Parts: sequence; C-alpha cells; structure tokens
Amino acid sequence: MSYQIIVCAGIVPDPLQTLEPVSGPAGPALKNEAMLPHVLDPWAACGLYEAAHLASQFPGSKLWLLSLAPKAKLQQVIMSIAQKAAFELLPLDGPSSGFTDSAAVAGLLADAIAALPGLDRKNLFVFGGWESASRSSSTTLQIVGERLGILDQFFGVDQLRVLENGALEILERVEGGRHQISVCDGPPVILGWATGNLPEPPNNPQVGMANMRVLMPALQRAKPVQMAPTGLSYESAVVPKQQRATRIVKDMPVDEVARELAAWIRG
Amino acid sequence: MDTLLVLAHTEADGTLSGAALEVIEAARSVTTRIGADPNALAVGLVGEKVRPLSGVASVYAVEGPEFAAPRYATDAAAAEAICRASSTSVVVAPGTSRWMRALPGVAQRLNGRADTHVMAFDGTRATRWCYRQRIEAVLTRAERPWFVLLDAGLPYQPRQGEPAIHRVSVNLPPLRTRFGGFVETKSGQQTIRPDADLLLVAGAGWTKKQKDGQTHVPEAAKLILDFLAVTRASLGSSKSLVDLSGEGQAVLPFLSHLNQVGQTGATPRHPKGLSTCCHGEEPHVVGWRFIRERRAINLDPNCGWARGKADVLYVADAFEVLAKLNELLGAQSQ
Amino acid sequence: MPWQVVCYERADGLAFGVSGVATRARGIRVSFPHLSASQIPMAAPVASEKLVYLLDPHGASRRPFLMRAADRILRLFGGLIGLEHSAFEIPWTPSFLHKKGGLVLSIGQFNQWVGEQLMASGAVQIWPGMPVAEPLMDGRRVAGVRLLDQGVAPDGAPGPGFLPGMDIRAELTVIADGPVGVLGRKLDDLLGMPPGHHKRDWAVGAKMVIDLPEETSLEPGTVIHTLGYPEPEIFGFFYVHPERIASAGVFVPSWFANPVRTSYRYLQHFLLHPYLWRYVKGGRMRSWGAKSLQESGRRGEPHLVGDGFARIGEGSGSTNVLTGSGVDEAWTTGVQLAEAVLALLREDKPLSKQNLEATYVRQRRASWVEKEGRIAQRARDGFHRGVVSGLVGMALAGATRGLLSIPGSPHPVRRMEEYFAGRLSPEQIAALRRDSALRGVPLHDAVMEACGWPAVPYDGRLLMTHQDALLLGGKVQAPPGYADHVLFLYPSLCEACNSKICVEMCSGEAITAPKDGAQPGFDREKCVFCGACLWNCEQGNIAFRAGAGGLHSAEN
Repeated sequence: MSYQIIVCAGIVPDPLQTLEPVSGPAGPALKNEAMLPHVLDPWAACGLYEAAHLASQFPGSKLWLLSLAPKAKLQQVIMSIAQKAAFELLPLDGPSSGFTDSAAVAGLLADAIAALPGLDRKNLFVFGGWESASRSSSTTLQIVGERLGILDQFFGVDQLRVLENGALEILERVEGGRHQISVCDGPPVILGWATGNLPEPPNNPQVGMANMRVLMPALQRAKPVQMAPTGLSYESAVVPKQQRATRIVKDMPVDEVARELAAWIRG
Repeated sequence: MDTLLVLAHTEADGTLSGAALEVIEAARSVTTRIGADPNALAVGLVGEKVRPLSGVASVYAVEGPEFAAPRYATDAAAAEAICRASSTSVVVAPGTSRWMRALPGVAQRLNGRADTHVMAFDGTRATRWCYRQRIEAVLTRAERPWFVLLDAGLPYQPRQGEPAIHRVSVNLPPLRTRFGGFVETKSGQQTIRPDADLLLVAGAGWTKKQKDGQTHVPEAAKLILDFLAVTRASLGSSKSLVDLSGEGQAVLPFLSHLNQVGQTGATPRHPKGLSTCCHGEEPHVVGWRFIRERRAINLDPNCGWARGKADVLYVADAFEVLAKLNELLGAQSQ
Repeated sequence: MPWQVVCYERADGLAFGVSGVATRARGIRVSFPHLSASQIPMAAPVASEKLVYLLDPHGASRRPFLMRAADRILRLFGGLIGLEHSAFEIPWTPSFLHKKGGLVLSIGQFNQWVGEQLMASGAVQIWPGMPVAEPLMDGRRVAGVRLLDQGVAPDGAPGPGFLPGMDIRAELTVIADGPVGVLGRKLDDLLGMPPGHHKRDWAVGAKMVIDLPEETSLEPGTVIHTLGYPEPEIFGFFYVHPERIASAGVFVPSWFANPVRTSYRYLQHFLLHPYLWRYVKGGRMRSWGAKSLQESGRRGEPHLVGDGFARIGEGSGSTNVLTGSGVDEAWTTGVQLAEAVLALLREDKPLSKQNLEATYVRQRRASWVEKEGRIAQRARDGFHRGVVSGLVGMALAGATRGLLSIPGSPHPVRRMEEYFAGRLSPEQIAALRRDSALRGVPLHDAVMEACGWPAVPYDGRLLMTHQDALLLGGKVQAPPGYADHVLFLYPSLCEACNSKICVEMCSGEAITAPKDGAQPGFDREKCVFCGACLWNCEQGNIAFRAGAGGLHSAEN
C-alpha cells in the first residue's frame, strides 16, 4: 500500500508576538504582518509530522505540503521546517490572515488538490490542523472535503492507525477529556489533527539539503491567487483588555473563599 | 427577514443536554431581536431516539440507529435534510465536537457559511475569538444559510406547548465509518488538556515550608490530585516547581515538564484558570495570556497576581482552601 | 558538483538579531547600489544628528570630580548656554561620529530583508535554529563543523528524539558567529590569537524598540547619541524610524567597575531622563534585546584565515571602537571574503590559507575597514583610567587619526565595599546582600535605590519588570530537547566569589543567585545569548556553549 498525503497548512505569527488588529480597505488585518516572524500553523505542523510518519511506514507514499501564504513569509517558514520532514511543496501566493473567509481559502485549496497530476483518490489522505492559530474556526477542511466529495472526516485527531486490512482506526478528541474511536474502511479521508502523540522531529541537515532541491524551485514558481469575493464583513476586531482590575480578597474565611470558588468553577 | 432553527443532537435517552437547552434559550432571545416570534422557534433534533421538546413551535426530527453515534457522514446528511426541510436561513447550534465536525460541511452543501466559537449572537452580528483568543471580532455575513455554533447559551427556561413534529427522511450515502466507542485519557499522565474547562496551576509554594515550619508535600499532592479528579481540570505548573523535581527535592510526584504552563507547545486555551501558591512568575506562566477568567490563591497580597494579572486574588492558605473546595465540589457532584 | 553555500544560523530566525543601528552604509550601498530606505521595513535616511551630554537629575550616578565641576558650571550658566531638560546639546559633533548620508535601520528587519533576497535567488541555503557546537579539526585544519546534539535533557543526557549533532564537512568554513560565538572562540582557544591581540574589552548593549506617542514631533532619521547618564561610562543612543517608532539603547562597558552593573535597569533610567522622557512618555515597548560587543576593536582581530577557514564580521575584530560602528564594517568584510572566494574559484585555485591571504586578507588590509580600524584601535584605552581620560583619549585619537591616545589597562571589577565606600557602609551592604538573598533577586535594584536611584514607575506598557520585558519585549523562547548551554565550571571558584556579577549582569535574569550550594542557577528559557556572563566572570569560570532559542522579537 502506498498513499498520497496532502497536508494543508497555513502560516501564523510566532506565538509570543504582539498582535494588533488594524482596519484596512479589505477589512481587519494584523499591523505590520509582514514584519512579524511566522511559523507553520502549530496543529497543522503536527499533521505534517504525522504525515511524514505515515509515509515512512508505507514506502512509495508521497507527501505534499499545500500552503496559502505570502511567498516571502512562506519561504521563511520553509527554512524552519524543511529539515524536519521530506515533502513536496504546493505553494499558493496569497494572504495568510485569519480574517479571510475560510470558504474562499478552502476553495483555493480544493482546486489545487483536484488539479494535482496523478491524484489517486483511493489512496488520498488530506491532513490539516483541527483549527488554525489564526482564524481558529475549524471550518476550512470540511469545505475542502465537501468540494472533493470526501465524506469521511475526522477532527481533533490524536492518533491514526492503519489496520491490517487497510482500514483506519482514528482517535478524535471529544468532550470530557475523552477520545472517540472510529474505524473507517480506508482513504479518501480528511483528518484535522490536534497535537497527536509524536515528538517534533529534530532538524536533520541531510533532509534539509535534499528538500532544498525541490522546495525552492517550487516556491519560486508559486502563482499569486485571487481570493473569491465574500459576504463576510467585520464590524470590529480588537485586543481584549489585558490589564485586569484585580479584586483582592483578604480576611475572608476559608469556607467562604471555597464557596465562592466552587460557584465560579461550576458556573 | 431571517428564519431561525436550532440544531441539536440528542443524548442516548433521547433528551437534550444542558448545553443544547441553553443554546435553545439563547436562540429564543435571538428571535426576539430579529423581530420574529420567540414562540415560533423551530428546533431540529438528530439522534437514535428523539423526544419532542415542549415550548417550541416545530420540531424537525431525524431519528434512527444510524444517527446514534457522532459521525461526519450521517450527522451532515441529517443536518442537511433538516435545513432543507425547514428552509431556514439562520441555524444556531451548540459548539459540541459533534456539530463542530459536521456543520461547516453542511453549510458548504447549502451554499451558506459557518462561524464557530461564537460567544455572542444577536441575529445579525456574531462575536468570536480569533488568533487563539487574542483578538475578539464582531462579524456579519450576507450568505445564507448561516450556521452559528455557540460556545455558551442562556439558562434554560422550560415552557409549555406541543410542537408540530416533522419527521425528516434522510438519504444516506454508503457508510464507510463505524463508531468504536470512547476511551478515557489515562489519568496518570496529567498532561495539559487544552479542551478542559479549567486549568489549575500549582506553584512552588506547595512544596515550601508552611506556617508550622514544615513541608507538607504528600498532603499537597493529595489535595491537588483530588481537585483534579473532582473538577476534571488540567494541571499545569510553574517552572520553579518543575525544576525542583530535577534537584532531588521532595516534590509532587506526578509532575513532569509536560505540565509546565508556558513551555512552547503546551499553551493552554482553557476558559478558566486557577493559580495556587505561585507568585505570578509571569514569564513562565505565559499560557495565562490565553485564559479568560483568572483567579489566584496566594498568601502574599503583593504577589504578581495582585497587579492586574488576575481577576480575583484570594489572600489565603491554598492548603485550607483546596481542602474545603474539594469537599464542596465532591458533595455537589454526588 | 556545483558549489553549495550553506549557512547555519543559531537563532531561531534571521530577524532575531540586536543592534542600534545608525550606519553610514558605505559597504552596504556597494552591494545594493539602488538601495532606498523605503524598501526595508523600519529603515529611514539619517536626517539629523545630535550629541548630547546628559546631566544627572537625581545625583545618584558616580561622577568624577571634573565632570561634577563641569555639571556645576553648566547648571550655573544654564540659561545662557541652552541647558534644558537636564541636558546640554553639544554644538559640535566630532567628524568621526557623523552618520551623514546614512541609514537608521533595524538589524532584524534588514537581515530579514536580505534573507528574502538571498533565498529567492536559490543560490544559498540558510538554516535558522541550527546551533553549531564546535569546529571539526584535522590537526590545525578546519574540516567543517559539528552541529549541536538535539533531543537531550538539560544535562545533555540523550532523551526521546535524540539526534547527535551531525558533522558537516566543507572546503571552507566561514566563521561569522560574532564576538561570543562558539565557533570563533573555540578556534581562538585552539589556534591562539595573533601576537599582541586580545579580547579584553567588552560592552553589553541593551535596547528597546518603542512606539512613540501619537503626538510625537520627532522625525524619522533623527539620530541622538548621549553620554553622561545614567552613569558617565554608559553611552546611549536614540534613533527614530518611520511610523513613530524609535530605538533606544545603552552600552554598559567592561571598564564600568561597578560590581552590580546591569543593563536593563540602566536602560530604564536612560529612558526616564527628562531629555528623552519628554519624547517617550506614554509610549509602548515593542521589542527588547541585548548583545555583547567586542570593544577591543582591531586588536581583537583573530587569525583571519587558515587552512579550511576564514573569519569575517564582528568576531573578526572589524568593529570600529572610535565611531562605535560595526554593521557596515562587518558587512564589508563579508563581501571581501566572498569576492576573494569567487575569484579563486574562477581561477580554479584552491581555497588555501595562502590563497585567502593573498586575496581576502590583502583586500581587507587595503580597505577603509582596516584604515579606520587602525585609527580607532587604541581610542578607548583611556577609559581604563577613568571617564574623563577616556573621553579625552577618544577625542585625541580622532583628532590625530590614531597617532595619539591615552593608554590604559583593564582593572578588575571592584569589590562592593570598595566601590560603594563613602556611599554605603559595609553594614548596609551586608544588609542589602541578606535581603536580596532572601528574596532571591539580584542585588542591583536594592543597591541602586540605596544610592539614590528612584524606583522605576512601572506602567506595564513601556516601563515594566525585567521578566515582563523578556516576554512582552524580547518574546524569549527556547525549544525543548537541548542541553543547558551556560555552565559554572568549578564550584570552589563560585564559592569564593564575592560579587556574583554574572547574576547582576545577566540580560535575561537567566542566571540567578545560588540557592543551595555555590553555583548560580541557570534557566535556558530566559537566556537571550548576549554572552555577558562569559566576559563578566573574572575567573573565567563560566562556559558559554552552543544553545538553541533566545530572542524572538524581530525588530531590534
């Protein structure tokens, strides 16, 4: 068995960066977004490493990273991940902002997947992050799946096991800290990954050097894409108040403190 | 004018969960805002067993064994059928994992759109977090149907009145996925579970000498573990506490670097956080930026939490408070 | 096989460097002939320059007699000479300080911009987040580099995901890792320094990037250099970028003999000085960072080339310590080496030590970098005798083009009781030591406040605790899976150490006072790799090794 695994991953500002929304003609945007260092969307990155792991177990499998992002920023992100896994790149030169309409993004992703020469639906896995660290909505992959006619979709995935008969056992995070187990007959499937269980792969210079031969040319060929018009409009985008007005509670009997906390925890 | 439908899936016995009922109540208030009759509320119910809900005008029911378990293909088909049958333009649903999985796909089928993690919705404007709770956005949509998945609702008020029941039939595709049950996360791991409602942060103060001049590490361990068991909270710890375990001190035996709040990759997204015995070592409690409601228990009224980093600081002995709290919460859950 | 150029960068990204910068950009403009500030984020052409002598509004700094006399005179004639905001704008700037025609830059944004051009060309590979542990040696020949082990515990023991550092062999290893870079220092240890050369003089530079208040009147390209405050030994800078952004920073040099010297607190007092506070009050911190500078100048030049290696940049002694400029010089040495290598490759000549000497070294010696470096090399020696000697020495060196200067040799850092004699009694000092030890904090805040420094009024936006600056400003992070990179070698030396200046000086408060036992603690998740610990320990008892992580602010 060999698989085709396409990982859809956006890019987001590096976790501790200060984000400031500003309003522009096309709606809200992050101030100085191009100046901020970016990383591959974290849960999608977990998906990439899971994909590499899956590919390594089934020789002959192919792995693509499909990413809609500004070319220059994507290039920077590639420098940080290209030593961790071997993959081919399908870059789409466009916005990575979390304020775009996920349907517009999903349309571009689905079209890119459908247009892949030699696409083998029977052995197709489409991976991505459960939700992005930008839009944080968990709506893009479902639309990709619908556009591609894939009706077996799983989200909050932490584990994928290929069973002997080629069926897939998938664990998804659900309420109450539990996982739901599902067994699917096989690909095509959509998997929106949570963290999974694999550690982040170390940086391997040999992997990096081999990757560079394919990744950089692919990046240079990236075509600018147009986002489809949308009926989404923002009334406001603000950073919630950081400094809180702390209520300092002194000299309250322990029992009362406990009662107040219990009500807060339950409420 | 928009028409509204609430979508909910039933529990095993055919009833609705608390979260679903609260969303129904929220939807009622939305109908008033958009100028529709709150008593004309339509509800779509999906599950193995569906019991009619009183106090709503109509119920669209998809019932059957195939709809027992959460599964994209069946949930999406059921929701799609209900939406087409009711010709609704706005669909409100609780943001459960089951609906989060399927409804965005359903919106696509109906040429509509879905918005998730919505905190507030008035019929035309939805408020939601983006950038992992760092930016709050208010948005509107022109496309219909508009699926709005709510994170929380309003306290449910039962009402009278028998609804009109519409049984909706669903054309299912061949099913390729089987439900295999649920599995509990091994509690021994105590890792940060980003989906838990509460994060407890245990600071170095737990292992230090208390007012009697002694350390009380075994008692601390028991208090913390009991709290986690009764609240199903995640456990995080400040860096100093994790470090102590590397230096051979008497430490909380179940802590590992996985619990260190703020270590890259373990940034929690819990709605509530309770910090105990921690002095507000801000840099390594960085995950607190993303926690909405923060309270702290510390004997030092001048600790970092006091200066704008927590909503409430209880100047109190965490050993005593937690002992009492565990008692209260344990009793409540029985 | 075509030649491959592979660059291993320790930091997690190209944009995470720290520098001032106001540069004449001579070398940079040769590489980018059509360079315009508008192409590079945060760049502005230099519009105006001032040299300002700051007086001390609190009387807390330690000023030599001559300086106090000058202060008194200035205050006396204040109205007449235009003394305002406790500062005297020196009407004449020495020519060697001029940045006319130059650029105000953010080094982070400049490097990111250059990186984008480079990567788009496909001609080189640049790998950030790849610390190099040591050179691969074949006798005295450098055969390549060994990368740092990944997937290890803080003590270096292999853990899950262990990947021993790979050996990368190369025809030529170019060492450009700065004055505290591991590769450069290892090579200095192995090969020694050229006769008479040394790296005794250092400074730590700390800066903030600030959002100025909306109503600011400052123009982009404003360049202000200061002296006299917060201490006479501490020089400061204030540069204005476009869009109401400013870079402000201080240099705390090794000849500032205060045993509780610190950069962060002095940076805050610098901003609070009335002359600057009027500009920054109400502003917000965007970024923060710190780094060590090599202040020995040309005398810090190591062996520039050898078998299998060549050295460029700040770690090769290119910084001009008279003009206080390093970026353009470092850039130029890189270009010189590149041109030499290209010439040799075209002529099919090996990249041997001889050939590199005949090309790169010769070109460097004939260039302005060398000429101006020679003028500058003894310019700061006078500071070892005192501030006034230092300033006079610099002026002398500048005026005589390096012929004359005031000589001096480094003194050890003073003991606390000695340095603060007359201000703090030994009993007071002992009490401050006890109190700081109890609270587990460095001494400097308590000592400075006991000497009359006012408490810093935190506002959580511009003025905040050191730890908050680490997160909000520096965005300091460290990935798991790497060993602690700062080690205290001999416990007995730490035990005998009276001043623990490593704790005081640490830019990130990553080094903390010993709790039990003699050795200070080290938290790798707070380290910004400034390297100050390395040169502050007068016993040489600190190993500063290769490590991962550090600053993630992209605007310094």
